[in-house]
Amino acid sequence: MKKYDVIIIGAGNGGLAAAATCAKAGLSTLLLERHNIPGGSASSFVRGRFEFEPSLHELAGVGSSETEVGSIEDMFIRMGGDVQWHTHDSTFRLVVPAKEGDKDAFINEDGVLVSVDARMPVGFQNFARKLDEIVPGSYDSCMAAFDLSTRMFKAFECLDDPKKLPGSIKDIPDIMRMVSHTMKEGLDALGMPKKAQDIFNTYWCYMGSPASQFDFLYYMCVLHSYVKNGTGIPHMRSHEMSMALDKVIRDNDGEIWYNSEVTKVIMKDGKPAGVVINGEKEVYGKYFICNSYPYAVFNDLFDKKDIPEKQLKMLNARKTACTLTTVYLGMNVTKEELGITDYSVFIAPDSDSDKQYDAAQNYFSNYCIINCLNEIIPDCTPDGTCQLFLTTMTFGDVMKDIEPKDYKKFKTKVAKDMIETCERALNISITPYIEEIEVALPPTFARYLNTPLGTPYGYMLEKWDSMLPRTIQYMGDQPFDNFFFCGASQERGDGYGCAYYTGEKAGGIVVKKMKGGK
Amino acid sequence: MADLKSLTLKKFVPLLKDRQARFDAAAAKLPDFPDQASVIAKALHPKRQYLKISEIKDVSSDCKSFTLVPNPEKGTTALAYFGAGKYLTVFETVNGMPVTRAYSISSSPKDSLEGRYVLTIRLVEDGLVSRHIFDTWTVGREVEVSAPSGNFEYQPLRDAEKVICIAGGSGITPFLSMANAVADGDEDFEMTILYGSREYDSILFREELDELTNKCDKIKVVHVLEKAKRGFKGSEKGFITAELIKKYAPENEPYSVFICGSQQMYAFVDKEIEKLGLAKKYIRHEMFGEFHNPKTQEDYPAGVPEKVKITVTVQDKTYIIFGSSSDSVMQILEKSEIPVPARCRSGECGFCHSRLLSGEIYIPKHLEYRRLADYKFGGFHPCCSFPLTDLEIIVPAAK
Repeated sequence: MKKYDVIIIGAGNGGLAAAATCAKAGLSTLLLERHNIPGGSASSFVRGRFEFEPSLHELAGVGSSETEVGSIEDMFIRMGGDVQWHTHDSTFRLVVPAKEGDKDAFINEDGVLVSVDARMPVGFQNFARKLDEIVPGSYDSCMAAFDLSTRMFKAFECLDDPKKLPGSIKDIPDIMRMVSHTMKEGLDALGMPKKAQDIFNTYWCYMGSPASQFDFLYYMCVLHSYVKNGTGIPHMRSHEMSMALDKVIRDNDGEIWYNSEVTKVIMKDGKPAGVVINGEKEVYGKYFICNSYPYAVFNDLFDKKDIPEKQLKMLNARKTACTLTTVYLGMNVTKEELGITDYSVFIAPDSDSDKQYDAAQNYFSNYCIINCLNEIIPDCTPDGTCQLFLTTMTFGDVMKDIEPKDYKKFKTKVAKDMIETCERALNISITPYIEEIEVALPPTFARYLNTPLGTPYGYMLEKWDSMLPRTIQYMGDQPFDNFFFCGASQERGDGYGCAYYTGEKAGGIVVKKMKGGK
Repeated sequence: MADLKSLTLKKFVPLLKDRQARFDAAAAKLPDFPDQASVIAKALHPKRQYLKISEIKDVSSDCKSFTLVPNPEKGTTALAYFGAGKYLTVFETVNGMPVTRAYSISSSPKDSLEGRYVLTIRLVEDGLVSRHIFDTWTVGREVEVSAPSGNFEYQPLRDAEKVICIAGGSGITPFLSMANAVADGDEDFEMTILYGSREYDSILFREELDELTNKCDKIKVVHVLEKAKRGFKGSEKGFITAELIKKYAPENEPYSVFICGSQQMYAFVDKEIEKLGLAKKYIRHEMFGEFHNPKTQEDYPAGVPEKVKITVTVQDKTYIIFGSSSDSVMQILEKSEIPVPARCRSGECGFCHSRLLSGEIYIPKHLEYRRLADYKFGGFHPCCSFPLTDLEIIVPAAK
């Protein structure tokens, strides 16, 4: 029987990057995926004359300055993955409809009474100037924050390459301060006015944890990446990225088996030696990289006696991150006819990110992100049409009172509320022009991703379990010396770039071990 | 410039220790937390449903209703609930050949909660699978089906409140389920069913439909008889034309049109609907069904060989098979007894998504559901793709 050098479980972004890394290094590589297409969340689906993007909002790692290429684009170039990119030069627009009694409220260009309407540009200086325009006196603190993140990014490379350490040694105290303090503590120390902090923190939801819980360093990492060079998306929805990596793997003699679900891990001498596929077929390997969630893996694939105690403890100590709900709309009018002017608008019931987090605990929160893909790819839908993508997040078991038979009606109710939130906040009319609609709630994600509560986001990045501690302790967190996790459950949490990073890294570890440390 | 000096450095070191301490303090067992999202996902989308036939009824001379109930011995204890309009894919083996067919569920969603699905199946002339079903499905026989699937459902945020449902022959089945759902209060819209049948005696479910219209004022049924020797009160003669649809459609408010019937009916009715000038959002089409005879299509190329060779890889096995260019790639694989993942057989569901490494295929335009990146990287759906040359393909395992 053939024994593979490495078997990768799950062809999500992490698994694809891991398999491509191993196959390119010449290892005999088998990638197993239970679905019939690659990518996990990075995919697409067709309804009528529309092809929808299921999960991607924007990639911070795409878009280049004169001196460097974004990290994701760079990975595709290094791997030889052929993707056509579109770049975009704004970050986000935050709209907070006014609450009763807000004396600073004003009527914006859409004719809506708002407390905040901030359309933030790309580039550190542009961003700081715009922030200063909205909240006078915030320029210096904003630039100071970006200066810290710039130095931190340089120093951060030392984690992967200790040779670079001496050059960044003077920045280490600041990194230690950033990682051990919250966003609010950091921005307060820099003297940023509260209202500016609110706008600054808009991307908190991309992390799946509230601003009061994640550390200053982690958020700055994220914001820095978005503001620095702008963002990008693939021309053919994220299915293009996943299919491009699928091709890289095959072109390098790696194998990918779809509809091939791992149903058991075969143990030998106390560690994994092979897997059972679809309950019947056995394949064996020396190393394993797993892009599935630890909970599902240990619960479904292992005998209880074989699970290392630390893994069980980790499962209990961590909290599942947020869950998402998305509404995909194919519209029979153009974005101009709808009156949509931005790619990405964050609509929030309150400007304070912690209050946004509190509101977003459950449905009907008036928290909603609306994206219009045609703003970046004008011809992504047929003439005279456009597509919209609404997202909101929830925390915990929000489906607890819903029975399977009531689910369809509940789904429609949630979608209606999200659509109406956008209609009110942007003073536009959406409902009469809906030609195609799909709604995905946590059960939809649970079905496709097989994650607890249907989260696509992994574990909550609380301060004690944030990016840096996870990165430092990565090897010690792995269950066996030949079995490595990658994906959203690992060092960097959710996000395409984070998953690719963890996949490439896990692949690199296996390549190094296989080649005897060389 | 502002800096972070005011923040203490002392908090960093305990951070890593804190993490370890939290892991050490946690319970060493598999967590058991409430997760209704996963419960719903599993209940509505089981990988397979193992059922038994509990009852068979003759609906007409060539049409039968099969009542399917859970088969707990095989592990199915409850049926997946569904939205009216969905179909089940039936898995059968005919003479060693693995085959599948998609049939709309004709019973109401409510019935599934009581452990009952009804599939109403018409015997197709020369139909391989329907013949097999009519020959072998007896009371007590075990049947394997998929989870309820498909997108032919009423969606209140998209569709008009009034719907003209156009049914032809056994195409009445999803509408029967919808009408029951409306009568049960599980769906809320007004439906006028224009039901085309050849003649009075070939009308399916006439009594059930009468009952539903009597019971619920949101449901109307108009029988349209193609060869009416004797009409009856409220019926129409001839075909379902644009004129006829207009006669029953609301005048000054929007309405949706839902269509389900045979491929011949689609060919006629689609042209009629075009004349109505409705926005695309108001026209919902049930899946086309398996397509045959590609060579009759206007855009089918000349000079295609009769016999083609297909090199197909499934997991770690590669087979070389031969087939007719008149058959879809899926049919050729099935005839060679290679199991293929199959659900809708109309190109729409994407379940058979495979990879074309070399060779050319023909896909009828109306069955073109490939994604953009599929064109770029060779993704295709064997169920509606016909070989024009020898092919080299990779097909996912059937499961």
